[in-house]
Amino acid sequence: MSTIFGIDLGTTNSLIAIMDGEDPCVIADAETGDPLLPSVVALSPDGSVNVGERAIELEPHLIVERDGQVCPVGFAGGEYGAVVRSVKRYMGLGGAELAPEDQHRYSFVDFTGSVVRFRVGSRTYTPSQISAEILRALKNRADAAGFGPVEKVVITVPAYFNDGQRQATKDAGRLAGLEVVRLVNEPTAASLAYGLHKQASGRVAVYDLGGGTFDISILSIKEGIFEVLATNGDTHLGGDDMDRALVDLILGDLPDELRVERHIWNSARREAEAAKKRLSSAEATDLVVDLPGHTVSKRVTRAEFENMVDGLVNRTLERCRLALKDAGLKPADVDAVVLVGGSTRVPLVRRRVEEFFGRKPLCSLDPDQVVAMGAAVQAGVLMGSRRDMLLLDVVPLSLGIETMGGVMERLIHRNTTIPTSVKEMFTTAVDNQTHVDVHVVQGERELTRDCRSLARFKLGPIEMQPAGLPRIEVTFLIDANGILNVTARDERTGREHSVDVKPSYGLTDEEIERMLEEALDSGEDDLNQRLLVQVRNDAEQILAAINKQLAEYGYLLEGGERARIDDIAGRLDMARRGEDRAAIGTMVEELNEASTPFAQRIMDGAIKGALEKKSVEDVS
Amino acid sequence: MVQCPSCARRQEPRLLCSNCGAPLPAELDYFGVLGLPRKLTLDLQRLESIYHEIGRRVHPDRFATQPEAVREASLRSTALLTQSYRILRDPISRGRYWLELHGEKLTESDKRVPAELAELVFEVQEELAQLREADRNNRKAMTSLVSAIRERRQALQVSMDEARGALAENFAKLDRQSGDRASLIGNLKAVLSKIAYLGTLIRDVDREIEPFDAS
Repeated sequence: MSTIFGIDLGTTNSLIAIMDGEDPCVIADAETGDPLLPSVVALSPDGSVNVGERAIELEPHLIVERDGQVCPVGFAGGEYGAVVRSVKRYMGLGGAELAPEDQHRYSFVDFTGSVVRFRVGSRTYTPSQISAEILRALKNRADAAGFGPVEKVVITVPAYFNDGQRQATKDAGRLAGLEVVRLVNEPTAASLAYGLHKQASGRVAVYDLGGGTFDISILSIKEGIFEVLATNGDTHLGGDDMDRALVDLILGDLPDELRVERHIWNSARREAEAAKKRLSSAEATDLVVDLPGHTVSKRVTRAEFENMVDGLVNRTLERCRLALKDAGLKPADVDAVVLVGGSTRVPLVRRRVEEFFGRKPLCSLDPDQVVAMGAAVQAGVLMGSRRDMLLLDVVPLSLGIETMGGVMERLIHRNTTIPTSVKEMFTTAVDNQTHVDVHVVQGERELTRDCRSLARFKLGPIEMQPAGLPRIEVTFLIDANGILNVTARDERTGREHSVDVKPSYGLTDEEIERMLEEALDSGEDDLNQRLLVQVRNDAEQILAAINKQLAEYGYLLEGGERARIDDIAGRLDMARRGEDRAAIGTMVEELNEASTPFAQRIMDGAIKGALEKKSVEDVS
Repeated sequence: MVQCPSCARRQEPRLLCSNCGAPLPAELDYFGVLGLPRKLTLDLQRLESIYHEIGRRVHPDRFATQPEAVREASLRSTALLTQSYRILRDPISRGRYWLELHGEKLTESDKRVPAELAELVFEVQEELAQLREADRNNRKAMTSLVSAIRERRQALQVSMDEARGALAENFAKLDRQSGDRASLIGNLKAVLSKIAYLGTLIRDVDREIEPFDAS
């Protein structure tokens, strides 16, 4: 079985890791030895792409000058390429949903749409496509270090990411040619890395302050079960915002038209980030930036910096308070506090977190690497190691449907353990109505317009009947990735209804397929070949699994099942050696279908087996 | 035992028919999923232990590399498991669910304000309205208003604790079947209704007091 890799797709840095025996191990760049890959993507006008240090090197050359004139930051794309930083802040969002400071950073197309598209010369890129480049670079890194091929991955996401942001992350994986086996929440991943060896037990708070996002998760760890009690956060709050406070200081005296000029802003940002880091060990530092005409030089003390970011830290602690409230706990009830994310190196953050929880936070694991390590641990669990470990995560935001008057009716409450499902009965309002429209939203507000639109779908076609007679049962299921799946059933006939879901965040399967085609390098196999390989892998996987199940659980087979399964398996085994992709795909589905009752019986047996382990006196 | 609507095979309740694979109408009830008898009194430690044990075996993470049919089944079963645990863990949702299982669904009249609480509900709403409309600048008046509300909050908590105690007793009696079943069930509904109203009152009070607590 192919290795599953763990990936931290971070706002500022990205990492790839795997399990090396009992321990997770981050794969460093084969040449430089750097475990971190800066999440910086340089998009050149000729369509070539560079990621990481190379992109940073290219940055000064992809500048915005047109006919010798300096252009305002809105034209950063222009005809000269673009260097995109912190693309994670744009994932799964429409133009109107971006943080104000992110809205003018780059040149965009379709700003009012549900998907932000970056304009670079004559090309456009979605955030998922840009993130896919980072994933591809990580994949190459693992290949170069001899750990490849990278096919299956676990990717971490902020716990507070909504459904659209999670989908965008999965899409990025797909665009990079990867199978995203699971999305894992970052704080939960970090707790796995910490809890791995210690016979950890108790309540843990994970405070995760990254480049662009903040998460706080409260977990209960007991005998290898990592159970999230509550989570809260802010997907627009991070180290980038601390940098910006210093950028404002640097550029403060400049006239407006110079302040927005791209490479002035860039220089200021670079110095701001470096100064912030220096202030973690020095009491004061000089901000020095060379600008056209003069040099800016300002002294800033740590105390002054702390003043500037105090509000930001307060916002994070407010979120901590809310999470504890949802968990029904007080700060003193927490047994351990874990710090995650480079921004937690700022002394003010450490001090305030220690004050809030009344104990010294743990930071023995590198805060930049701990999430990737946790992702690798989860990858290990998915591959079958550590049968005692189990992750029980939660949905971070309430999910509901729009009812009369634009009111949000909550179906699934925030912090509900996932997977979870809820059934709702729908019917028609007028005679002979052929379809029912359902609008699903995510959020905590009373009105749907204040919540995030997740999807709209039509139930039907419904048989013509008087109003109120049809009964369509819709199941809203949130899977282990925190993503919504919708199925519908006509209650009367038991037949599955077709549900045509239009995800509100906007990328359809067709668009993704098109992007996949566009993304092909000349050196790679052509698309058909890649899809053939994928479907052959599916076939191999299902045949191996079925054989194992037949060997172990053969006694659970009934009627003519064995004959039917053997027949399809035999035909599939032949077909997968051929080139007929469609035929292989169809047979994989047939085999799936034929083995479903058998699989369900094995599952029921697993539940029953777990219960039988409990002796009679336990269950009283 | 349930009968499959498709092939008529009689079997223990399960998700899919063991004979023909069709979905069975009677779903496993939450007690059944966790292997527990339909008793109202539960040891929460044991419940958590069972939940974790089953979870370890059926969670989708266990089947990440299996074919889709197995993954689907595991996803459905685990969603049912987490739902069962959530409902049974809280005595109030447990009580309501138990009533439903026994065909004693709460009716509209069951949900009306219990007579004994009617006056209390009215008084508390009045006090909250007073607080909302009070002149924030009149510090003396504000302090005494907030103080009165805080006392009220404490009193409500005492009532709630008493009600929960009554609930536990009611559970025990129903489990032992000691007493007239009809009246015990009537009691159960009444206590559940009382707890629901007290809960709403406490929530409303907490919401109004919060700005004063934070300062």
